[in-house]
Amino acid sequence: MTGALAGTLPILAVWAGGWALNAWLARFDTRLTRILVAAIFGITVIVLWEMIVRIYRVPTVILPAPGQIAASFAANTAILWTDFVQTIVKGALTGWLIGAAAAILTAIAIDRSPFLQRGLLPIGNFVAALPIVGIAPILVMWFGFDWQSKAAVVVVMVFFPILVNMVAGLAATDAMQRDLMATWAAPYGASLWKLRLPAAMPFLFNGLKITTTLALIGAIVAEFFGSPTHGMGFRISTAVGRLDLPLVWAEILVAAIAGTLFYGLVALIEKKVTFWHPSQRA
Amino acid sequence: MTRRIMAAIAGALIAGPALAQDKDDLTLQLKWVTQAQFAGYYVAQEKGFYDEEGLNVTIRPGGPDIAPTQVLAGGGADVIVEWMPAALAAREKGLPLVNIAQPFKSSGMMLTCLKESGISDPQTDFSGKTLGVWFSGNEYPFLSWMSTLGLSTEGGPDGVTVLKQGFNVDPLLQKQAACISTMTYNEYWQVIDAGLTPDDLVTFKYSDQGVATLEDGLYTLQSTLEDEDRVDALARFVRASMKGWKYAEEHPEEAAEIVLENDETGAQTIEHQTRMASEVAKLTAGSDGTLDEADYQQTVKTLLSGGSDPVISREPEGAFTHIITDRALN
Repeated sequence: MTGALAGTLPILAVWAGGWALNAWLARFDTRLTRILVAAIFGITVIVLWEMIVRIYRVPTVILPAPGQIAASFAANTAILWTDFVQTIVKGALTGWLIGAAAAILTAIAIDRSPFLQRGLLPIGNFVAALPIVGIAPILVMWFGFDWQSKAAVVVVMVFFPILVNMVAGLAATDAMQRDLMATWAAPYGASLWKLRLPAAMPFLFNGLKITTTLALIGAIVAEFFGSPTHGMGFRISTAVGRLDLPLVWAEILVAAIAGTLFYGLVALIEKKVTFWHPSQRA
Repeated sequence: MTRRIMAAIAGALIAGPALAQDKDDLTLQLKWVTQAQFAGYYVAQEKGFYDEEGLNVTIRPGGPDIAPTQVLAGGGADVIVEWMPAALAAREKGLPLVNIAQPFKSSGMMLTCLKESGISDPQTDFSGKTLGVWFSGNEYPFLSWMSTLGLSTEGGPDGVTVLKQGFNVDPLLQKQAACISTMTYNEYWQVIDAGLTPDDLVTFKYSDQGVATLEDGLYTLQSTLEDEDRVDALARFVRASMKGWKYAEEHPEEAAEIVLENDETGAQTIEHQTRMASEVAKLTAGSDGTLDEADYQQTVKTLLSGGSDPVISREPEGAFTHIITDRALN
């Protein structure tokens, strides 16, 4: 009991210290302190994690310390890079691009024809409800073990959210704007290109941002159902069997960094494309 | 007199519930889903062999992504069914696993290949082919075999391309792999049930290739063996389990029925389980639970001879003990 208590004191001290420092910094509202406060919070969490794991001797198999994870990350950069290229670049990114393109084209087709609207949307809805663990093994059977089947899973996962957003976006113009195009005798194509597509952009990017993380999850989970001997999902599921938990966490770290960058990139493009939209006024 | 009767009644009242509580709790983590591969434990449970030994045993089924070694390390089980390669690899990784009994005498692992893939001699025909392998600790026997053949597992014309095989035999049926990993008592029959005939297939048993490793042994943590009460409970557990195994060997049909009753997923069929029980009986035959040191040495030799990438890098020490089986069987 006293041992546990003695271990708890430094943990509480670090936590209280981080809190006090941040509370003090928060009084000066400048750009620098805003960044500092966030950084101190993150560093405190990592330091506490390291302390808790070491003081209470948590087995590595349950939770490795951040130091162990960092060491494993540094020692396995070659493996992590191969896995990143296989899963994120070939699987997730390819699938995301194909899925997004298919969804945009389908949305335009739905917008053009009420017949398709009544038929395709329910089917899209149905596909969206398919559980990934159900379709992944089937798609692995169809498209083989390599990245193609992972890309196919990602296509299925990202298609519907982008489609729904795009359909809503194409309906986002009001009657006055459309009437104006009609008075200029604009054909369907011109009105789509000059008015309705730009108006749909905030909706489209909403869908694209949501699906960045979905694409990563889809590609990683799909690898659990059969894969070549590299890839993040493969490594995460097999390194556990080899009790190499620091490597598992290093892969999770790669996935987190990749997901953040991917999302950030899409958000950046959105800023450039929809600069005119009220939501982008800083 | 009345006092004595009162005392007897009081004693009975206290002893009644106490008898039920005096049982030692043990949790067994299986290597795979509920099936006849573990018939001995289910038979011991159903037939009351564990009860007779004063044990209250919980049997936890495993699955494709459950590594028993990890469950043991996390405190989720007292004893696990594991293959020796995975156990020795975990031991080298710093998890002090000890083999306390070895109910399976022989290895049931083999590679099942399509005849049309043109493989007839492992020495010469594997290079450039795609082979399905299980992971989560089951890849070690395969990796050892490939390194004894001098084949890289990184693909290419002079190596083999490895697929992470799921929990079904589809890669072979779909011809996505030339060969897949199978057990004599399970996946081989799934291939047959899927419509292929033994004439369409070529099988290579690990034991015939001289790369057999011990399967389905009982393992516990070193620290557990330092506790006299646990050692005693484990000895009783092993004795009851072996009784269950011998019963299952003699009554495969009944054993299959017992397994089926315990299968909560409802995925197993009586035909498949009966066949499995009789195939497993061939592997448990000849073992009274005691680990044969020659078999252990053969396993270690196979794992050490891993060329550039051996499964274990040095001779393990203290990886098995006869303490439990000696106490259980004598």
